[in-house]
Amino acid sequence: MKLSFSWLKEHAPLTKTPQQVADDLVRLGHEVEGIELPRAAVKGVRVGQIISIKAHPDADKLKLLQIDIAEPEPLSIVCGASNMGEGDKIPVATVGTCLPNGLRIKKGKIRGQASFGMCCSEAELALAEDADGLLILPVDAPVGAEVGEYLELEEAILDLDITPNRGDCMSIRGIARDLAADYGLPLIEPADELVGADTTVDPPKVRVSAHSDNPLYMACRIEGITVTDSPAWLQQRLIAAGQRPVNGVVDVLNYTMLDLGQPMHAFDADTLQGDLHVRSAESGETLLALDGRDVTLNSGDLVIADDTNVLALAGIMGSEATGVTNTTTSIILESAAFRAALISTTRRTHALVSESSMRFERGVDAAMIVVAMDQAVQMIVDLFGGKSSQMTVIGDQAALINDKQITVNIKRIETRLGIHIPETADAVLARMGFDIQREGGDLAIRVPSHRHDVSIAEDISEEYARVIGFDAIPAELPALTVIKARKIDASISDAVALGFVQVINYAFIAESEQRLFVAHDGDDLRLENPISEAMSVMRRSLWPSLLNTAKYNMNRQQAGMALVEQGRIYQGPVDSHQESNMIAWLMAGEYQTDSWYEKSRKADFFDLKGAVESWLDKRGLTARFIADDDVQGLQSGQTAKIVVGKSTVGHIGKVDGDIAGSFDLQADVFVASINLDALHAGKKAKFQPIPEFPSIERDLVFLFDKTISSNDILQAVRKAVGQQLIDARIFDLYEGKGVPESKRSLGIRFSLQDAKRTLVQEDSDQAMQAIIDAIAKKFGAELRG
Amino acid sequence: MSELEALKSELQGLQVKALASIKEVENLLGLGILRVYYLGKKGKLTSVLKGVGKLPPQDRPVIGQYVNATKTALSEALDSAESLLAAKEKQQRIEAERIDTSLSGRTAKRGVLHPIQQGLNEMTAIFAQMGFDIAEGPEVEDEFHNFDALNIPQEHPARAMHDTFFFEAPKGQQAKLLRTHTSPVQIRTMKNCIEAGGEPPLAVVAPGRVYRCDYDVTHSPMFHQIEVFKVDKDVSLAHLKGVLQYFLSAYFEKDLPIRLRPHYFPFTEPSAEVDVGCVFCNHKGCRICKGSGWIEVLGSGMIHPNVLKSVAIDSDIYSGFAFGLGVERLVMLKHGIPDLRLFFENDVRFLRRMGA
Repeated sequence: MKLSFSWLKEHAPLTKTPQQVADDLVRLGHEVEGIELPRAAVKGVRVGQIISIKAHPDADKLKLLQIDIAEPEPLSIVCGASNMGEGDKIPVATVGTCLPNGLRIKKGKIRGQASFGMCCSEAELALAEDADGLLILPVDAPVGAEVGEYLELEEAILDLDITPNRGDCMSIRGIARDLAADYGLPLIEPADELVGADTTVDPPKVRVSAHSDNPLYMACRIEGITVTDSPAWLQQRLIAAGQRPVNGVVDVLNYTMLDLGQPMHAFDADTLQGDLHVRSAESGETLLALDGRDVTLNSGDLVIADDTNVLALAGIMGSEATGVTNTTTSIILESAAFRAALISTTRRTHALVSESSMRFERGVDAAMIVVAMDQAVQMIVDLFGGKSSQMTVIGDQAALINDKQITVNIKRIETRLGIHIPETADAVLARMGFDIQREGGDLAIRVPSHRHDVSIAEDISEEYARVIGFDAIPAELPALTVIKARKIDASISDAVALGFVQVINYAFIAESEQRLFVAHDGDDLRLENPISEAMSVMRRSLWPSLLNTAKYNMNRQQAGMALVEQGRIYQGPVDSHQESNMIAWLMAGEYQTDSWYEKSRKADFFDLKGAVESWLDKRGLTARFIADDDVQGLQSGQTAKIVVGKSTVGHIGKVDGDIAGSFDLQADVFVASINLDALHAGKKAKFQPIPEFPSIERDLVFLFDKTISSNDILQAVRKAVGQQLIDARIFDLYEGKGVPESKRSLGIRFSLQDAKRTLVQEDSDQAMQAIIDAIAKKFGAELRG
Repeated sequence: MSELEALKSELQGLQVKALASIKEVENLLGLGILRVYYLGKKGKLTSVLKGVGKLPPQDRPVIGQYVNATKTALSEALDSAESLLAAKEKQQRIEAERIDTSLSGRTAKRGVLHPIQQGLNEMTAIFAQMGFDIAEGPEVEDEFHNFDALNIPQEHPARAMHDTFFFEAPKGQQAKLLRTHTSPVQIRTMKNCIEAGGEPPLAVVAPGRVYRCDYDVTHSPMFHQIEVFKVDKDVSLAHLKGVLQYFLSAYFEKDLPIRLRPHYFPFTEPSAEVDVGCVFCNHKGCRICKGSGWIEVLGSGMIHPNVLKSVAIDSDIYSGFAFGLGVERLVMLKHGIPDLRLFFENDVRFLRRMGA
């Protein structure tokens, strides 16, 4: 809300500067988002009285003035104006002053005559667009005073962000009330010279059949008005507040709403057919609203209607057809109370928003309904003529003015704020309209009608904290709560330790990307209001996000990628969805760049597999990687499922070339993912004595069919040797020249050790033979000579 | 010439020749050969000694002394030559092994944590030190946990301020949404505690991703929050202030003043926005804090009695504070990161620079 500083001063006699007031508003809980200074006060322009006027000896149009500005010596100023006389009071810009148009006043000589300042017009003080001659000040203007202060030129527009609980502060008066209470100043009451009702004008006939939604409806008819534009000062205030002037009547109502907080509405009485009726809408009724939209109403919406048409959606927006225009001569004004929750629901259902609805849904002050009506009627009659009827009032205002009572023990408030509440704070609350009675430790508090946000003890606690100031509350550490020790999840830091860069991506992706790795099964969680199609479904795989990140970076000259992401995947249906914690890796492009010690090399399956194995090893887990040709989006023959114990916990493999290509990735891309929720805790390290006796290492090289997996071979080796085998691995792999097409040569290195004795030649010979026999029997493979 | 003289002269000649050879030898191998040649079991000196038997007995001690003197002289010469040669050869080896130490090392591949992850880790660690437990909750939430239980009823204006993402759902099914804050975890944690027959004290941090339907220069549709709350007997606003003060100083690694400003949140009463002394200018006032010396960092307050009521905690006995940290915002402030979008672009050049 935009708050005009000069308008604010009409409600409370503020003496502080706009900046000080802004700081105090912040302290009171009203966020100030900015201060505009449309006409900053001019410092150094003072009230001067002309002592004498003489002709300039060398210029016909110039005059020599002697001006008293309450300094020991009068000022000599050369001036070109002619509208002043001796004894007149005028604004004098003294030497050093900077005028709003940027002109800095210097000592000077004009046609040989010294001049120590400048006499100003309205234009030079930025009070008018242009001016003819000097601004002649009133005779009572104090000589020597700052003109800015004397004319109260200081204007500032404070841009406030009023929190939704403080509907009472959505008006100049509301803000003034909070400030005045804080400063100990009185609130200036509105003038009370009311226009007398003219009994020749019929009061409007109103029927209210939805009393609980509309507990008070006030209407007044004004006949014989001439609607013109509102006066400049009023338009300026509306514009400063961020509103567009429409026509005189509408402007007055908007002005009243900004001033007092009560939204009002005006109907062109000649467009109405029959009486006003406040009722629930019938489903399907329509309203062509002021903003040009055709609104189809629901039953339950509260409307103002005449005998044939809906005239307004109560408290939100009127119809175009019955609005006041420049040709209107007779109007009916409405000032009413509508149920806040109903206004909120209706305006959300129809996606409408207005200054009026914003105030009604936050709660308006029932005490202002009559005051606002009186003020608006008076302003309209004053400005546009006409005769006003007596008020039609349906409902009881007195019953509306809530009489909320809160009783609370002061100790409870003090304990929960951590400070002592002095009785002086009561006085501040009293100025805000609270009635406080202290009886021992108990407070009996009556809440004023404008404070819809105060209803329980904690609300009172907040009011005290606000007026005492949050700064006064000490900082104390609470007693320590002892908690259960918890193991920190190191999934991501362990992956990072293995050389991967952690990325964090949005949890929603494009549906087309989802389909790359997850078949359509109706279990996507789909957003109703996504930012875009590219962010519309909750991801069920982290791979599309990683591919996008790889694309982004490889398009920016990155030759190799090693990425890891930890995040959730989400699976429908909506009413019983599941979220699982995943970790996923991506490797692509150069694994090793050219260096003085090594040639560059591209990442392959085993680079990623090694990282995943190490990551699992860190958690005390060993996995089997079992070839799997049925993982969607990954290439057959370079893909495996990751099996820990008996359960498949993830997958690893090469991304299908076409898919990688669709992400602009030319290099081979390898990805892996593991469901963290599927991993059980690994084995805790258990002590084993360091072997006392040395181990022996032997190598055997066989020719195998290519189809035989190394995993099966090593398993056969382990089985053949038994307990003494402590390690067996493939140390050499050769395909090509000298080896038949369908075969490959695999070198197996194994180590033997016995916990009880030193092994001898015989032991290793036996083991070797056992292996040779087993391999021959199981795979038909022969030792390579 | 007597036998004695002849032997003496032979020894002398041997010594002169040997010393000359020792002087000339160039490597340890040659020196070893000389040592054996002169002093070995079958060496020259030994063969001279064999002639001693032919001498008359009175001459034997004399020549014995001569032999010993020669032996000593040769040994010393050999030893000193050896140590010189050893030093020389070591020096040669060192020269031969000289490398360019300025060549780059064979680097182990180093990864980095995302700056948000680091922030989360640092922040949760500070709270863990203060005795706060860690809790998590679902990101796909229902309206009860995200709004109703937090004292934000359907028609409440604050609900519209949340820019909520909703899910498509068959008609009649309960609406599901992406949580707009981590506060639902507060509800779930308190509720679980009470339903399991437990009771406060509860001191919990709940880090996680949250979502708002807002996407521009200063808004990301997904970001991270940490919900922090404590419920106990006699928890006060002063405690809130103390915890905030401790946390913010610890996180920014300097003593900064904090300021609480009254504000409004439906789920706390009283509520406060929290400003911290500007980390860039140490509270003096600069361009970033717009001269105020303060930077707004988070929203906080005393848990609203209606919230406690929704999880069956008696607000006459217990009170609590709660606040929600915007992780991105704090990380940006700490590291001077100018643009929120950098976090989710995942440019590895940015990540490597900021990561640890």
